[in-house]
Amino acid sequence: MGGDRITKGLLFSSSLVLLLLSAGMIFTLASGAIPAFREFGGRFIFSSAWDPTPGKEQYGALAFIAGTMLTSLLALIICIPMAFSASLFVSEYYKGTRIASVLRSLVDLLAGVPSIVYGFWGFYTLRPLIMKTGLSDQGFGIFTASLILAIMIVPYATSLSSEIISMVSTEMKEAAYSLGATRREVIFNVVIPSAMSGIVASFILALGRALGETMAVTMLIGNANIIPKGLFSPGNTMASVIANQFGEADGLKMSALIAIGLILFAITALVNALGKVIIKRFA
Amino acid sequence: MGNILADNINRRSKRNKRFKGLIISGSIITVIPIFLIVINLIIKGVRQINLSFFTETSPDTFQAMTATANGEVIPGGIANGLVGSLIMVLLASALAIPTGLMTGVYLYENKKKRYASVIRSLTDVLQGVPSIILGIIAYIWIVKGVTRGYSALAGSIALAIMMLPIIVRSTEETLSMIPVQIREASFALGVPYYKMMIKVLIPCSFSGLATGILLSLSRILGETAPLMLTSLGSPGINLNIAKPSSAVPLLIWDFYNDPNMVSMVWSASLFLMIFVLSLNILSRSISKNRKYI
Amino acid sequence: MKKVLILLVASLVLISCNNSGSSKTVKNKNVNLTAAGATFPLPFYNLAFKKYAEATGVSVNYGGIGSGGGIKSLRDKVVDFGATDAFLSDEELVSMSAPVVHVPTCIGGVVLAYNLPGVTGLKLTPEVIEGIFLGEITKWNDSKIAAINKGLTLPDMKITVVYRSDGSGTTYIFSDYMTKAGKSWAAKIGTGKSLNWPVGIAAKGNPGVAGTISQSAGTIGYIGYEFAVAQKIPAAYIANSSGNFIEPSLGSLTAAAATDIPADTRIMLTNSPNPQAYPITSFTWIILYREQAYDNHSLANAEAAVKAIKWLTGPDAQAIATSVNYAPLPQKAVEQASKALEEVTFNGTKVLR
Repeated sequence: MGGDRITKGLLFSSSLVLLLLSAGMIFTLASGAIPAFREFGGRFIFSSAWDPTPGKEQYGALAFIAGTMLTSLLALIICIPMAFSASLFVSEYYKGTRIASVLRSLVDLLAGVPSIVYGFWGFYTLRPLIMKTGLSDQGFGIFTASLILAIMIVPYATSLSSEIISMVSTEMKEAAYSLGATRREVIFNVVIPSAMSGIVASFILALGRALGETMAVTMLIGNANIIPKGLFSPGNTMASVIANQFGEADGLKMSALIAIGLILFAITALVNALGKVIIKRFA
Repeated sequence: MGNILADNINRRSKRNKRFKGLIISGSIITVIPIFLIVINLIIKGVRQINLSFFTETSPDTFQAMTATANGEVIPGGIANGLVGSLIMVLLASALAIPTGLMTGVYLYENKKKRYASVIRSLTDVLQGVPSIILGIIAYIWIVKGVTRGYSALAGSIALAIMMLPIIVRSTEETLSMIPVQIREASFALGVPYYKMMIKVLIPCSFSGLATGILLSLSRILGETAPLMLTSLGSPGINLNIAKPSSAVPLLIWDFYNDPNMVSMVWSASLFLMIFVLSLNILSRSISKNRKYI
Repeated sequence: MKKVLILLVASLVLISCNNSGSSKTVKNKNVNLTAAGATFPLPFYNLAFKKYAEATGVSVNYGGIGSGGGIKSLRDKVVDFGATDAFLSDEELVSMSAPVVHVPTCIGGVVLAYNLPGVTGLKLTPEVIEGIFLGEITKWNDSKIAAINKGLTLPDMKITVVYRSDGSGTTYIFSDYMTKAGKSWAAKIGTGKSLNWPVGIAAKGNPGVAGTISQSAGTIGYIGYEFAVAQKIPAAYIANSSGNFIEPSLGSLTAAAATDIPADTRIMLTNSPNPQAYPITSFTWIILYREQAYDNHSLANAEAAVKAIKWLTGPDAQAIATSVNYAPLPQKAVEQASKALEEVTFNGTKVLR
């Protein structure tokens, strides 16, 4: 059918947009990053030196790579039980009821809070709270940043998961119930396996959000350009250092920041690929 | 024999109840932060919100200083930010929603192809790009390249790129959940491809698609970093997309950096949140009024 | 759905109509200028340009994206002029494709703000400040601090230093002063917009540092003068080059500029020789190309830009600056600024006639 071919062609070209966009972005970032790599070579990725003092500039990305990985993974770990509970609540236990829509709206609200507001709230409210628990001197640090990240990414994980979970076919579930399974057993043996792909996709979405989050993290992480020594010590992430330093940066420093952006691109790709491998192993 | 069965059932039923309790407590913990944040925003911000908040442009530091010194409400509002945000979000949506939906459908229809998994991976990676990098990219492509100056167009492009991956992935995943029989029944009846998409696939997955679009809108409404490098900001209302424009998150950033206007930060944030909530409620009621799923 | 869209468009139209009538909006008559740069003078510029637009109809759109952003924007020729807290270095001047004119517009001060319950009127010398920021002096009741604050009871508290996490002109001004006035600062920390600090915690932006200091007792950090005033945070009296302990104030800030200013106005006012001057002070500049006929830059824009900048250094704008706690330019600086603006040409002909 001619019409079908046109439709298929249209769909294909929209996918091209994405391809061209990513290629263009990588190209632009790479050209900006070349001066830094030319100056520091491969050492850039593995060095944790960061001295912006004019005259003796030394840049290395390791401290930020460590900070980003730590905060994002920790945020995901904290987020998983929360998102799981919320999506099961909304799409299984109380599906279709008033309280489920209330909960869903509340979680969606979390997505609507601007990241800068999370930064402010974290700075003015969360930080003193953490200081009170005595775990950290000034409240800045990896843990605080991960906590705020976790709260920020919960709606991404929950929204999509609950949609997927609610779409699991009722016949399959009823078949399991008719065999005498308890609700929990139906969830673990029917719902989750069939929704697995969507659930993992939602967590990857959430992780992606965490990897790139800038404003909220930068207000709470303490901005110490070193590899964090412990859970409650300050550190810095790739997105945060770019946001902080970009306004005033120029020349070699600017190139170093763009190079960090490129590395973040690569790390996100790696983490995603790893996630897919994990799915394949469990599916 | 009977005892083992009874024990088994007992054990399973206890586990069942415990699990339910776990889920409920987990859900409660999940929503505690939103209460804390909203209460905080309301307490600090509700004072500033009145009609002029929506119709007047942002105040200057002197007005703010005198008002705070006198204990009054700071005059002015966020009208320039509102209009700017609206224009940029509409433009970004016009660019991102059709492209995202179509790409999502393409990925769903061509699951097995190698090319499709490349696109899928690229989408996931795009999702993780920090918004400031997108701002840098839009600065280089549009501000330097196209409009030769800061512009709302550059801001819209940065926002559109941010929306794209969320829409693509949620579309694909939602479509995957539709029972394949529905699609096949439609083909069996000889329905042309595009009609099947519009009349069958999309209505069936409407709720999920709306969720994805809503999520992407919520994401971009609050973004500051990319807009600083693209639309810059503006003291007045600007309808020309080739010129700089204000936006609500930009105003929030300006208020934060001004020593006298910190209280406006909370009111503007409160407004933003209420707006997103209304968007959510709106989309849910639309989904509910549809006849199928 | 359609109803919502109609409602949105209607409100858009309503708001724009409402605002074109009121005198509060910026009128879109003839020329619209775009400028970007330092966040330090942002409140002053926004207020000044607003008044300028009401009076002349020329609107200036200023974005506070940072001094570096201002320099980049000017280099990329996407703004009519830029603004920076630190004048362009010789290398930076070379990197701009054409000669650039610096025009100072007002004077800002960096204060050492502190949070010590029950203590006001703290005095500090450059040696003590250096000791604190290098981590050599760690307690508030250290003998070195007590020696210069004989009338005060200093608590036995740990000192927590707060510095800027983001690149900033405030950091540049502070470190420039300390390099001049301190002994080992130049070697151990140096001068720059972003530095490696040996001790302390980082906070983002002036509000971040101010907020951290307000919230935690025992902290000390450097913030812009207008922040200390607006948020009522105590600021230390600093011993200047003549040995006088000077309180930061509009008067003592302007006094720092009562010195010889080079023709291109590129001078750091820190550690001023004036005995009444507050030592941690600096101009903030507007930068524009000397030859305004570049790319698609129009004569109308060039004229409007130069006139606006000239107005900014004039008495009306300077009075506005004072009203919001920015120190005005002394007469000599105003004259230098005018001379600098007279150099600006369009296709060789002077813009200001």
